[in-house]
Amino acid sequence: MGENRYTFGDIIGDPVIGERFQKVRDYFFLRESTYDMTSRCNVRCEGCYYFTGEKQNTPDNTNPEDWRRLLTAEKERGITFVVLAGAEPSLVPELCAACYQVIPLGAIATNGLKPIPADIDYRIHISVWGNDATSLAVRKAPDMLARQIDNYRGDPRAVFVYTFSPVNIDQAREVTELLAKNGLQITFNMFSAPVGYTGPLRHTSKTLARTRRVMTELLAEFPETVLFSPYNILVHTEEKGLHDLFSCSYPRMNPSTAIGLGRSFRQYRTNLAWDRDAACCVPDTDCEDCRHYAAGSAVVTARMYRHADNPRSFAAWLDYVDTYLAVWVRGYEKGKNLCADPVIPVSDS
Amino acid sequence: MSNDSTTVNRIAEIIINELKLEDVTPATFDPDLDLVDEVGIDSMDLATIALRLRDEYGIRIDEDDYPKLTTVRIIAAYIDEKRQAGE
Repeated sequence: MGENRYTFGDIIGDPVIGERFQKVRDYFFLRESTYDMTSRCNVRCEGCYYFTGEKQNTPDNTNPEDWRRLLTAEKERGITFVVLAGAEPSLVPELCAACYQVIPLGAIATNGLKPIPADIDYRIHISVWGNDATSLAVRKAPDMLARQIDNYRGDPRAVFVYTFSPVNIDQAREVTELLAKNGLQITFNMFSAPVGYTGPLRHTSKTLARTRRVMTELLAEFPETVLFSPYNILVHTEEKGLHDLFSCSYPRMNPSTAIGLGRSFRQYRTNLAWDRDAACCVPDTDCEDCRHYAAGSAVVTARMYRHADNPRSFAAWLDYVDTYLAVWVRGYEKGKNLCADPVIPVSDS
Repeated sequence: MSNDSTTVNRIAEIIINELKLEDVTPATFDPDLDLVDEVGIDSMDLATIALRLRDEYGIRIDEDDYPKLTTVRIIAAYIDEKRQAGE
Protein backbone atom coordinates (compact mmCIF):
# COMPACT_ATOMS: atom_id res chain seq x y z
CA MET A 1 0.00 0.00 0.00
CA GLY A 2 3.08 2.15 -0.19
CA GLU A 3 1.68 4.25 -3.04
CA ASN A 4 -1.40 5.30 -1.07
CA ARG A 5 -1.29 9.00 -0.41
CA TYR A 6 -4.28 8.96 1.92
CA THR A 7 -5.11 6.97 5.00
CA PHE A 8 -8.74 6.21 5.76
CA GLY A 9 -8.36 8.52 8.74
CA ASP A 10 -7.24 11.32 6.40
CA ILE A 11 -10.23 10.77 4.14
CA ILE A 12 -12.92 10.77 6.81
CA GLY A 13 -11.05 13.54 8.61
CA ASP A 14 -12.45 15.86 5.97
CA PRO A 15 -15.47 17.36 7.77
CA VAL A 16 -17.88 17.03 4.83
CA ILE A 17 -16.86 13.47 3.99
CA GLY A 18 -16.68 12.48 7.64
CA GLU A 19 -20.19 13.78 8.33
CA ARG A 20 -21.60 11.93 5.32
CA PHE A 21 -19.80 8.74 6.30
CA GLN A 22 -21.34 8.88 9.76
CA LYS A 23 -24.75 9.55 8.23
CA VAL A 24 -24.66 6.43 6.04
CA ARG A 25 -22.85 4.35 8.62
CA ASP A 26 -25.85 4.59 10.92
CA TYR A 27 -27.60 2.32 8.38
CA PHE A 28 -24.95 -0.39 8.17
CA PHE A 29 -27.30 -2.52 10.27
CA LEU A 30 -29.58 -3.09 7.27
CA ARG A 31 -29.64 -6.75 6.22
CA GLU A 32 -32.03 -7.53 3.40
CA SER A 33 -33.90 -10.41 1.97
CA THR A 34 -36.51 -10.36 -0.80
CA TYR A 35 -39.86 -12.05 -1.17
CA ASP A 36 -42.07 -12.86 -4.14
CA MET A 37 -45.55 -12.23 -2.79
CA THR A 38 -47.85 -13.72 -5.42
CA SER A 39 -47.69 -15.28 -8.85
CA ARG A 40 -50.43 -12.92 -10.02
CA CYS A 41 -49.95 -9.64 -11.87
CA ASN A 42 -52.36 -7.23 -13.52
CA VAL A 43 -50.02 -6.43 -16.44
CA ARG A 44 -47.70 -8.48 -18.63
CA CYS A 45 -44.48 -6.61 -19.44
CA GLU A 46 -41.99 -7.65 -22.08
CA GLY A 47 -38.78 -8.76 -20.38
CA CYS A 48 -40.36 -9.08 -16.91
CA TYR A 49 -38.00 -10.93 -14.59
CA TYR A 50 -40.84 -12.63 -12.73
CA PHE A 51 -42.36 -14.34 -15.73
CA THR A 52 -39.01 -15.84 -16.76
CA GLY A 53 -37.82 -19.26 -15.66
CA GLU A 54 -39.54 -21.69 -13.34
CA LYS A 55 -40.49 -19.46 -10.42
CA GLN A 56 -43.69 -18.28 -12.14
CA ASN A 57 -45.04 -21.82 -11.69
CA THR A 58 -44.53 -21.80 -7.90
CA PRO A 59 -47.80 -22.19 -5.98
CA ASP A 60 -48.88 -19.25 -3.80
CA ASN A 61 -49.08 -19.34 -0.05
CA THR A 62 -51.90 -16.91 0.72
CA ASN A 63 -52.08 -17.43 4.48
CA PRO A 64 -51.04 -14.24 6.36
CA GLU A 65 -50.22 -16.30 9.46
CA ASP A 66 -47.67 -18.34 7.49
CA TRP A 67 -46.12 -15.12 6.22
CA ARG A 68 -46.04 -13.70 9.72
CA ARG A 69 -44.27 -16.83 10.95
CA LEU A 70 -41.74 -16.61 8.11
CA LEU A 71 -40.98 -12.96 8.79
CA THR A 72 -40.63 -13.65 12.51
CA ALA A 73 -38.06 -16.34 11.70
CA GLU A 74 -36.34 -13.92 9.32
CA LYS A 75 -36.13 -11.30 12.03
CA GLU A 76 -34.65 -13.85 14.40
CA ARG A 77 -31.89 -14.68 11.97
CA GLY A 78 -30.99 -10.99 11.66
CA ILE A 79 -32.94 -9.70 8.67
CA THR A 80 -33.80 -6.02 9.22
CA PHE A 81 -34.99 -4.95 5.77
CA VAL A 82 -37.43 -6.65 3.40
CA VAL A 83 -38.07 -6.13 -0.28
CA LEU A 84 -41.52 -7.33 -1.37
CA ALA A 85 -41.51 -7.84 -5.11
CA GLY A 86 -42.94 -10.21 -7.75
CA ALA A 87 -45.21 -10.58 -9.30
CA GLU A 88 -47.44 -7.72 -8.05
CA PRO A 89 -47.51 -7.19 -4.26
CA SER A 90 -50.40 -4.71 -4.38
CA LEU A 91 -52.70 -7.62 -5.22
CA VAL A 92 -52.03 -9.18 -1.80
CA PRO A 93 -52.15 -6.24 0.64
CA GLU A 94 -52.98 -8.53 3.56
CA LEU A 95 -49.67 -10.37 3.07
CA CYS A 96 -47.74 -7.10 2.76
CA ALA A 97 -49.36 -5.92 5.99
CA ALA A 98 -48.34 -9.15 7.75
CA CYS A 99 -44.73 -8.53 6.70
CA TYR A 100 -44.82 -4.88 7.77
CA GLN A 101 -46.16 -5.77 11.20
CA VAL A 102 -43.09 -7.95 11.86
CA ILE A 103 -40.27 -6.09 10.06
CA PRO A 104 -41.09 -2.39 9.72
CA LEU A 105 -38.26 -1.42 7.37
CA GLY A 106 -38.61 -2.30 3.73
CA ALA A 107 -39.69 -1.51 0.21
CA ILE A 108 -42.35 -2.77 -2.18
CA ALA A 109 -41.84 -2.99 -5.93
CA THR A 110 -45.14 -2.34 -7.67
CA ASN A 111 -46.51 -1.26 -11.02
CA GLY A 112 -48.53 1.36 -9.14
CA LEU A 113 -51.89 0.57 -10.73
CA LYS A 114 -53.48 -0.46 -7.43
CA PRO A 115 -52.68 1.72 -4.39
CA ILE A 116 -50.99 0.04 -1.46
CA PRO A 117 -52.78 0.82 1.83
CA ALA A 118 -51.30 3.80 3.67
CA ASP A 119 -50.72 1.86 6.88
CA ILE A 120 -48.04 -0.24 5.16
CA ASP A 121 -45.31 2.33 5.64
CA TYR A 122 -42.62 0.85 3.40
CA ARG A 123 -40.89 2.75 0.61
CA ILE A 124 -42.89 2.10 -2.55
CA HIS A 125 -41.08 1.73 -5.86
CA ILE A 126 -43.37 2.38 -8.80
CA SER A 127 -42.02 1.03 -12.06
CA VAL A 128 -42.07 3.22 -15.15
CA TRP A 129 -40.92 1.93 -18.52
CA GLY A 130 -41.46 5.05 -20.66
CA ASN A 131 -44.30 7.36 -21.58
CA ASP A 132 -47.84 6.05 -21.82
CA ALA A 133 -47.49 5.12 -25.51
CA THR A 134 -44.45 2.98 -24.76
CA SER A 135 -46.07 1.47 -21.66
CA LEU A 136 -49.05 0.48 -23.76
CA ALA A 137 -46.74 -1.21 -26.26
CA VAL A 138 -44.39 -2.91 -23.77
CA ARG A 139 -46.68 -3.45 -20.75
CA LYS A 140 -50.06 -3.69 -22.54
CA ALA A 141 -51.66 -1.23 -20.13
CA PRO A 142 -53.20 2.14 -21.09
CA ASP A 143 -52.60 5.43 -19.26
CA MET A 144 -50.14 3.86 -16.86
CA LEU A 145 -48.26 6.96 -15.78
CA ALA A 146 -51.41 9.01 -15.29
CA ARG A 147 -52.89 6.26 -13.13
CA GLN A 148 -49.67 5.80 -11.16
CA ILE A 149 -49.46 9.54 -10.45
CA ASP A 150 -53.12 9.66 -9.41
CA ASN A 151 -52.51 6.82 -6.98
CA TYR A 152 -49.35 8.20 -5.39
CA ARG A 153 -49.50 12.00 -5.67
CA GLY A 154 -48.46 13.48 -2.31
CA ASP A 155 -47.48 10.08 -0.91
CA PRO A 156 -44.07 10.34 0.82
CA ARG A 157 -43.58 6.57 0.45
CA ALA A 158 -43.43 6.81 -3.33
CA VAL A 159 -40.42 6.87 -5.61
CA PHE A 160 -40.85 6.23 -9.31
CA VAL A 161 -38.26 3.91 -10.85
CA TYR A 162 -37.63 4.65 -14.52
CA THR A 163 -36.17 1.66 -16.30
CA PHE A 164 -34.09 2.82 -19.25
CA SER A 165 -34.24 0.56 -22.27
CA PRO A 166 -33.19 1.27 -25.85
CA VAL A 167 -36.77 2.19 -26.79
CA ASN A 168 -37.49 4.80 -24.11
CA ILE A 169 -34.32 6.81 -23.50
CA ASP A 170 -35.68 10.04 -24.91
CA GLN A 171 -38.97 9.71 -23.03
CA ALA A 172 -37.28 10.01 -19.66
CA ARG A 173 -37.40 13.78 -19.91
CA GLU A 174 -41.16 14.06 -20.31
CA VAL A 175 -41.70 11.55 -17.50
CA THR A 176 -39.31 13.42 -15.18
CA GLU A 177 -40.93 16.76 -16.00
CA LEU A 178 -44.36 15.34 -15.27
CA LEU A 179 -43.27 13.85 -11.96
CA ALA A 180 -41.54 17.10 -10.98
CA LYS A 181 -44.76 19.02 -11.67
CA ASN A 182 -46.59 16.63 -9.38
CA GLY A 183 -44.00 16.88 -6.59
CA LEU A 184 -42.93 13.26 -6.98
CA GLN A 185 -39.43 11.76 -7.08
CA ILE A 186 -37.75 9.48 -9.58
CA THR A 187 -34.70 7.26 -9.64
CA PHE A 188 -33.17 5.37 -12.52
CA ASN A 189 -32.89 1.70 -13.36
CA MET A 190 -31.40 -0.07 -16.37
CA PHE A 191 -33.14 -2.81 -18.29
CA SER A 192 -31.13 -5.93 -17.53
CA ALA A 193 -31.94 -8.83 -19.78
CA PRO A 194 -33.42 -12.02 -18.34
CA VAL A 195 -31.50 -15.19 -19.17
CA GLY A 196 -32.17 -16.09 -22.79
CA TYR A 197 -33.82 -12.77 -23.68
CA THR A 198 -33.17 -11.80 -27.31
CA GLY A 199 -35.64 -8.93 -27.74
CA PRO A 200 -35.08 -5.25 -28.48
CA LEU A 201 -34.79 -4.04 -24.89
CA ARG A 202 -31.23 -5.28 -24.31
CA HIS A 203 -28.77 -2.37 -24.16
CA THR A 204 -25.94 -1.82 -26.61
CA SER A 205 -22.84 0.38 -26.41
CA LYS A 206 -24.70 3.16 -28.16
CA THR A 207 -27.78 3.01 -25.95
CA LEU A 208 -25.64 2.94 -22.82
CA ALA A 209 -23.88 6.12 -23.95
CA ARG A 210 -27.17 7.81 -24.82
CA THR A 211 -28.64 6.81 -21.49
CA ARG A 212 -25.63 8.27 -19.71
CA ARG A 213 -26.12 11.60 -21.47
CA VAL A 214 -29.82 11.78 -20.67
CA MET A 215 -29.35 10.76 -17.03
CA THR A 216 -26.67 13.44 -16.62
CA GLU A 217 -28.91 16.13 -18.09
CA LEU A 218 -31.89 15.17 -15.95
CA LEU A 219 -29.86 14.98 -12.74
CA ALA A 220 -28.51 18.48 -13.42
CA GLU A 221 -31.88 19.96 -14.37
CA PHE A 222 -34.09 18.28 -11.74
CA PRO A 223 -31.93 17.91 -8.63
CA GLU A 224 -34.94 17.93 -6.30
CA THR A 225 -36.80 15.31 -8.31
CA VAL A 226 -34.05 12.89 -9.39
CA LEU A 227 -32.58 10.64 -6.70
CA PHE A 228 -29.28 9.73 -8.33
CA SER A 229 -25.62 10.76 -8.44
CA PRO A 230 -22.87 11.09 -11.06
CA TYR A 231 -21.36 7.88 -9.71
CA ASN A 232 -24.67 6.02 -10.06
CA ILE A 233 -24.76 7.17 -13.68
CA LEU A 234 -21.21 6.02 -14.34
CA VAL A 235 -21.59 2.63 -12.72
CA HIS A 236 -24.93 1.76 -14.31
CA THR A 237 -24.08 2.80 -17.86
CA GLU A 238 -20.69 1.10 -18.09
CA GLU A 239 -20.13 -1.45 -20.83
CA LYS A 240 -19.27 -3.95 -18.13
CA GLY A 241 -22.12 -5.14 -15.96
CA LEU A 242 -22.16 -4.91 -12.18
CA HIS A 243 -20.77 -8.39 -11.67
CA ASP A 244 -17.78 -7.72 -13.89
CA LEU A 245 -17.14 -4.40 -12.18
CA PHE A 246 -17.65 -5.35 -8.55
CA SER A 247 -17.94 -9.13 -8.28
CA CYS A 248 -21.56 -9.65 -7.24
CA SER A 249 -21.99 -10.58 -3.61
CA TYR A 250 -25.45 -12.18 -3.88
CA PRO A 251 -25.51 -15.94 -3.21
CA ARG A 252 -26.21 -16.87 -6.83
CA MET A 253 -22.74 -15.59 -7.81
CA ASN A 254 -20.99 -15.82 -4.44
CA PRO A 255 -20.23 -19.25 -3.01
CA SER A 256 -19.05 -17.93 0.37
CA THR A 257 -21.47 -18.22 3.28
CA ALA A 258 -19.05 -16.62 5.74
CA ILE A 259 -20.27 -13.03 5.91
CA GLY A 260 -22.45 -10.42 4.21
CA LEU A 261 -25.04 -11.18 1.55
CA GLY A 262 -23.57 -14.61 0.88
CA ARG A 263 -24.40 -15.50 4.45
CA SER A 264 -27.71 -13.77 5.12
CA PHE A 265 -29.52 -13.02 1.86
CA ARG A 266 -32.43 -15.17 0.75
CA GLN A 267 -34.91 -14.74 -2.07
CA TYR A 268 -38.17 -16.41 -1.14
CA ARG A 269 -40.65 -17.65 -3.67
CA THR A 270 -44.42 -17.38 -3.30
CA ASN A 271 -44.53 -20.75 -1.52
CA LEU A 272 -42.08 -19.42 1.15
CA ALA A 273 -39.23 -21.64 -0.07
CA TRP A 274 -35.85 -20.41 -1.28
CA ASP A 275 -32.97 -21.80 -3.32
CA ARG A 276 -29.44 -20.59 -2.62
CA ASP A 277 -28.27 -21.34 -6.15
CA ALA A 278 -30.86 -18.95 -7.57
CA ALA A 279 -30.86 -16.30 -4.86
CA CYS A 280 -30.27 -12.74 -5.96
CA CYS A 281 -32.29 -9.55 -6.00
CA VAL A 282 -33.53 -10.05 -9.56
CA PRO A 283 -33.53 -13.82 -10.18
CA ASP A 284 -33.20 -15.06 -13.74
CA THR A 285 -31.40 -11.91 -14.87
CA ASP A 286 -28.44 -12.61 -17.16
CA CYS A 287 -25.60 -11.73 -14.74
CA GLU A 288 -23.39 -10.45 -17.57
CA ASP A 289 -26.05 -7.90 -18.49
CA CYS A 290 -27.05 -6.95 -14.95
CA ARG A 291 -27.08 -3.20 -14.31
CA HIS A 292 -30.15 -3.38 -12.12
CA TYR A 293 -30.63 -0.64 -9.52
CA ALA A 294 -31.45 -3.12 -6.79
CA ALA A 295 -28.30 -5.13 -7.50
CA GLY A 296 -26.13 -2.04 -7.47
CA SER A 297 -27.57 -0.92 -4.15
CA ALA A 298 -26.01 -3.95 -2.52
CA VAL A 299 -23.08 -4.77 -4.78
CA VAL A 300 -21.53 -1.29 -5.01
CA THR A 301 -22.27 -0.51 -1.38
CA ALA A 302 -20.47 -3.65 -0.24
CA ARG A 303 -17.24 -2.50 -1.94
CA MET A 304 -16.37 0.30 0.46
CA TYR A 305 -12.76 -0.79 0.89
CA ARG A 306 -11.73 -0.38 -2.73
CA HIS A 307 -13.26 3.12 -2.84
CA ALA A 308 -11.25 4.31 0.16
CA ASP A 309 -7.94 5.11 -1.56
CA ASN A 310 -8.59 8.81 -2.03
CA PRO A 311 -11.23 11.42 -1.13
CA ARG A 312 -12.72 11.62 -4.64
CA SER A 313 -13.35 7.92 -4.90
CA PHE A 314 -14.72 7.70 -1.37
CA ALA A 315 -16.98 10.72 -1.90
CA ALA A 316 -18.35 9.04 -5.03
CA TRP A 317 -19.05 5.87 -3.04
CA LEU A 318 -20.77 7.94 -0.35
CA ASP A 319 -22.97 9.55 -3.03
CA TYR A 320 -23.93 6.08 -4.19
CA VAL A 321 -24.77 4.84 -0.70
CA ASP A 322 -26.61 8.06 0.16
CA THR A 323 -28.69 7.59 -3.00
CA TYR A 324 -29.36 3.95 -2.20
CA LEU A 325 -30.60 4.81 1.29
CA ALA A 326 -32.79 7.66 0.03
CA VAL A 327 -34.36 5.38 -2.55
CA TRP A 328 -34.93 2.42 -0.23
CA VAL A 329 -35.44 3.66 3.32
CA ARG A 330 -38.53 5.64 4.43
CA GLY A 331 -37.57 8.94 6.01
CA TYR A 332 -33.94 8.99 4.86
CA GLU A 333 -33.18 12.32 3.18
CA LYS A 334 -30.62 12.41 0.40
CA GLY A 335 -27.81 14.92 0.77
CA LYS A 336 -26.16 16.98 -1.94
CA ASN A 337 -23.89 14.89 -4.14
CA LEU A 338 -20.24 15.31 -3.15
CA CYS A 339 -18.40 14.09 -6.25
CA ALA A 340 -19.04 15.48 -9.73
CA ASP A 341 -16.32 13.61 -11.62
CA PRO A 342 -16.11 10.04 -10.31
CA VAL A 343 -14.04 7.15 -11.60
CA ILE A 344 -14.59 3.45 -10.92
CA PRO A 345 -11.73 2.01 -8.87
CA VAL A 346 -10.36 -1.35 -9.85
CA SER A 347 -10.01 -4.17 -7.36
CA ASP A 348 -6.52 -5.29 -6.46
CA SER A 349 -7.82 -8.57 -5.05
CA MET B 1 -0.96 -18.20 14.37
CA SER B 2 0.41 -14.94 15.68
CA ASN B 3 1.91 -14.89 19.15
CA ASP B 4 2.39 -11.15 19.07
CA SER B 5 0.16 -10.00 21.91
CA THR B 6 0.73 -6.36 20.99
CA THR B 7 -0.81 -6.93 17.57
CA VAL B 8 -3.66 -8.97 19.04
CA ASN B 9 -4.38 -6.28 21.63
CA ARG B 10 -4.27 -3.47 19.09
CA ILE B 11 -6.64 -5.26 16.73
CA ALA B 12 -9.00 -5.91 19.62
CA GLU B 13 -8.82 -2.22 20.53
CA ILE B 14 -9.67 -1.18 16.96
CA ILE B 15 -12.63 -3.55 16.87
CA ILE B 16 -13.89 -2.36 20.26
CA ASN B 17 -13.62 1.27 19.16
CA GLU B 18 -15.22 0.77 15.75
CA LEU B 19 -18.11 -1.31 17.06
CA LYS B 20 -18.44 0.75 20.24
CA LEU B 21 -18.44 -2.45 22.28
CA GLU B 22 -19.12 -1.99 25.96
CA ASP B 23 -17.98 -4.00 28.98
CA VAL B 24 -14.90 -5.31 27.21
CA THR B 25 -11.30 -4.14 26.97
CA PRO B 26 -8.45 -5.22 24.69
CA ALA B 27 -7.09 -7.25 27.59
CA THR B 28 -10.37 -9.09 28.15
CA PHE B 29 -11.36 -9.52 24.51
CA ASP B 30 -11.10 -13.21 23.64
CA PRO B 31 -8.93 -13.33 20.49
CA ASP B 32 -10.52 -16.61 19.47
CA LEU B 33 -14.11 -15.34 19.49
CA ASP B 34 -15.76 -15.78 16.11
CA LEU B 35 -16.28 -12.22 14.98
CA VAL B 36 -19.34 -13.00 12.87
CA ASP B 37 -21.11 -15.63 14.95
CA GLU B 38 -20.18 -14.43 18.43
CA VAL B 39 -19.48 -10.71 18.11
CA GLY B 40 -22.05 -9.99 15.38
CA ILE B 41 -19.77 -8.26 12.88
CA ASP B 42 -21.23 -7.79 9.39
CA SER B 43 -19.42 -7.15 6.13
CA MET B 44 -19.62 -3.36 6.38
CA ASP B 45 -18.19 -3.42 9.90
CA LEU B 46 -15.40 -5.65 8.67
CA ALA B 47 -14.65 -3.32 5.75
CA THR B 48 -14.37 -0.40 8.17
CA ILE B 49 -12.10 -2.38 10.46
CA ALA B 50 -9.99 -3.46 7.47
CA LEU B 51 -9.47 0.20 6.58
CA ARG B 52 -8.41 1.02 10.12
CA LEU B 53 -5.97 -1.88 10.00
CA ARG B 54 -4.65 -0.61 6.68
CA ASP B 55 -3.94 2.73 8.33
CA GLU B 56 -2.35 1.11 11.37
CA TYR B 57 -0.15 -1.49 9.70
CA GLY B 58 0.30 -0.22 6.15
CA ILE B 59 -1.02 -3.42 4.56
CA ARG B 60 -3.84 -4.00 2.13
CA ILE B 61 -6.52 -6.50 3.01
CA ASP B 62 -7.92 -8.11 -0.10
CA GLU B 63 -11.72 -8.03 -0.26
CA ASP B 64 -11.67 -11.70 -1.18
CA ASP B 65 -9.92 -12.44 2.11
CA TYR B 66 -12.69 -11.06 4.34
CA PRO B 67 -14.40 -14.44 4.79
CA LYS B 68 -11.17 -15.88 6.21
CA LEU B 69 -10.74 -13.20 8.86
CA THR B 70 -12.94 -14.80 11.47
CA THR B 71 -11.08 -14.05 14.74
CA VAL B 72 -8.71 -11.45 16.12
CA ARG B 73 -5.96 -14.06 16.30
CA ILE B 74 -6.43 -15.00 12.64
CA ILE B 75 -6.39 -11.32 11.65
CA ALA B 76 -3.14 -10.85 13.60
CA ALA B 77 -1.56 -13.78 11.80
CA TYR B 78 -2.79 -12.43 8.47
CA ILE B 79 -1.24 -9.03 9.22
CA ASP B 80 2.04 -10.60 10.32
CA GLU B 81 2.18 -12.61 7.12
CA LYS B 82 1.50 -9.57 4.97
CA ARG B 83 4.12 -7.50 6.78
CA GLN B 84 6.73 -10.21 6.53
CA ALA B 85 6.01 -10.48 2.82
CA GLY B 86 6.67 -6.74 2.59
CA GLU B 87 3.22 -5.91 1.24
